[in-house]
Amino acid sequence: MSTTGQRRGLAAVIIPAALALLVLGALAVTGCGSDSSTGGGASPAASASASSGPITVTDGSGASVTLQQPAARIVSLAPANTEIAFAIGAGAKMVAGTSYDDYPEEAKSLPKIGDFANPNVEKIASFEPDLVLAAGGIQDGLRSKLEKLGMQVYVVDPKTYDGVMTDVTNLGQLAGSTEQAQQVADTMQKAKDDAQAKVASLSRPATFLEIYSKPLMTAGGDTFIDDMIGIAGGDNIGATAGSGFPNFSTEVLFKDDPAVYIADSGSMSKPGDITKRSGFADLTAVKDGHVYVIDDNLIARPGPRLAQGLQELVKMIHPEASSAQ
Amino acid sequence: MTRLVRTSVWPGIALAGGVFVACLLVSLAFGPASLSLGEVWHFVTTGPVHGDLPNAIFWQIRLPRVLVACLVGAELAVAGVILQDLFLNPLTDPYVTGVSSGAALGATIGIVLHLSNLPWMTVLALIGGFLTLGVVWMAARRRGRIDIFVLLLAGVTISYLASAVVTVLMIRANQDMYAIVYWLMGSFSGRGWQDVEIALVAVPFMIAPLFFAREMDILLQGEKRALELGVEVERTKRVLLVTAGVLTAIAVSVSGIIGFVGLVVPHIVRLLVGPGHRSLLPVSLLVGASLMGVADLLSRTVIAPNEIPVGVVTTFVGAPLFVYLLRRGRKG
Repeated sequence: MSTTGQRRGLAAVIIPAALALLVLGALAVTGCGSDSSTGGGASPAASASASSGPITVTDGSGASVTLQQPAARIVSLAPANTEIAFAIGAGAKMVAGTSYDDYPEEAKSLPKIGDFANPNVEKIASFEPDLVLAAGGIQDGLRSKLEKLGMQVYVVDPKTYDGVMTDVTNLGQLAGSTEQAQQVADTMQKAKDDAQAKVASLSRPATFLEIYSKPLMTAGGDTFIDDMIGIAGGDNIGATAGSGFPNFSTEVLFKDDPAVYIADSGSMSKPGDITKRSGFADLTAVKDGHVYVIDDNLIARPGPRLAQGLQELVKMIHPEASSAQ
Repeated sequence: MTRLVRTSVWPGIALAGGVFVACLLVSLAFGPASLSLGEVWHFVTTGPVHGDLPNAIFWQIRLPRVLVACLVGAELAVAGVILQDLFLNPLTDPYVTGVSSGAALGATIGIVLHLSNLPWMTVLALIGGFLTLGVVWMAARRRGRIDIFVLLLAGVTISYLASAVVTVLMIRANQDMYAIVYWLMGSFSGRGWQDVEIALVAVPFMIAPLFFAREMDILLQGEKRALELGVEVERTKRVLLVTAGVLTAIAVSVSGIIGFVGLVVPHIVRLLVGPGHRSLLPVSLLVGASLMGVADLLSRTVIAPNEIPVGVVTTFVGAPLFVYLLRRGRKG
């Protein structure tokens, strides 16, 4: 625990602090926060990929990141970034990650720089990275500090599924593994194409995605989760509630009466038996048996496993399309 | 004198009762699902029907939530009156006894162990609250009597300690941070009949203090004076402290920690009806229920389909009201 040990007693005092930290932290985890208005990743600037010469790409915050040569020492400040790095074959270049990194297995044994809500700048610098993979939201203030110390920072903050693919290929360029990154992006593109082909002619059932149950929270309109529900042929009810991860009125949920109810489950939340919640037995999704639980690692982390999450979503939102295949 | 006070309390209570009924009706009539008044009346008369979604919105979502909010508001307000007057300290709220922090610790343990569904969370919160009350009690007991000031200090200290442990758990089990913070913030979102049942357990504890109204009035003049006047001071303190502790623990276990109501409602009511407990207690109960009911109504509706944390609304509604009443000055 290298973070500043704040000893604050009364819950009334810790709540605002913890809340601020948390909301930002949660956004950073999923990469959906931040005030940056650009879609994730933007376009990879043209540059010589594997050959020598400076590599320039535009990151999720719209800033351009230039490396004179492919990164050799990478520090990741978010679990999703770590996943991308390993997936594109840059795992060996990873020198440190966060205490939340749990995928792939090798990531667990990386040295830690703290958790992503509280990355320790000194600790990050001690690894002498030539590339730091940050998240949006809570880590916005971190960039200037790291850059002052001479580190290059790439912010992964995608708002769409395509934005995640852009981040993957951008990181491929920065880490000098364009080919493997392209393969990962191709797999993600294929999952998207497959999903779109399956659901193209089908109706779009009203779908509710539960991020958290008490209070009820959902995925808002500008998130890659919303984008994925759309690709999987659903109509995200949560998009009506604003951006990010807004809380959502249970009454309105009942009024909108989703045909499909998907609850995110994982480290952040355990939905329990949804059908047994007060009044839920009368929801169309419950009556028709369209209540599902999805692993949050597959839909809430902007990394390569979103491809799997997308396949899951198609199965849930359009079981008829999947069984026909 | 007693007789005089007794006859004059009823108008106040009746008025507060009227306000409460009005708040209850408004809270039930309006909501983000905008059922029409005719529909609501229809649901009330037909009772809960299975398979009818609007009916479920009223009976399974809105009604239990409104009831829980009103019960919790009443519980916190009564606990606030008791503790402010026992401690003779206007800044006291139901959370200073450490009971809420203990309950928070219990709930946090429940979350960290992934027992986050009813009834475990509530049970653990209750256990946490009661254990804290016990510890604070033991700390404050000297030769058979409870030292109120030691109790206050012990409560605040235990409160800090429990919160420190909650913080440690939050950092250690950081993937549960979300759940813990949302629990601590307090909310009535998703509360159902199960929660109503738990909150209803507190009703006898809301009524019990009424039987000690005279003793509480005298205790305002200090323990020494009360002893001289023949009040069984220690027994009264014991009963009232346990009552306030139970009320707080139950309220916190179903709603999380919602601020302001327990602190300010007693003050508002004192300004309106004076310090006599025969009216202060029942009117506070009703005003607490009304304020929380209306606060939750606003929390549900103002930015629907989003919700505003109810603790924010209680403060926004209560603070201007309180300042207005303070400026108007104490009545009679």
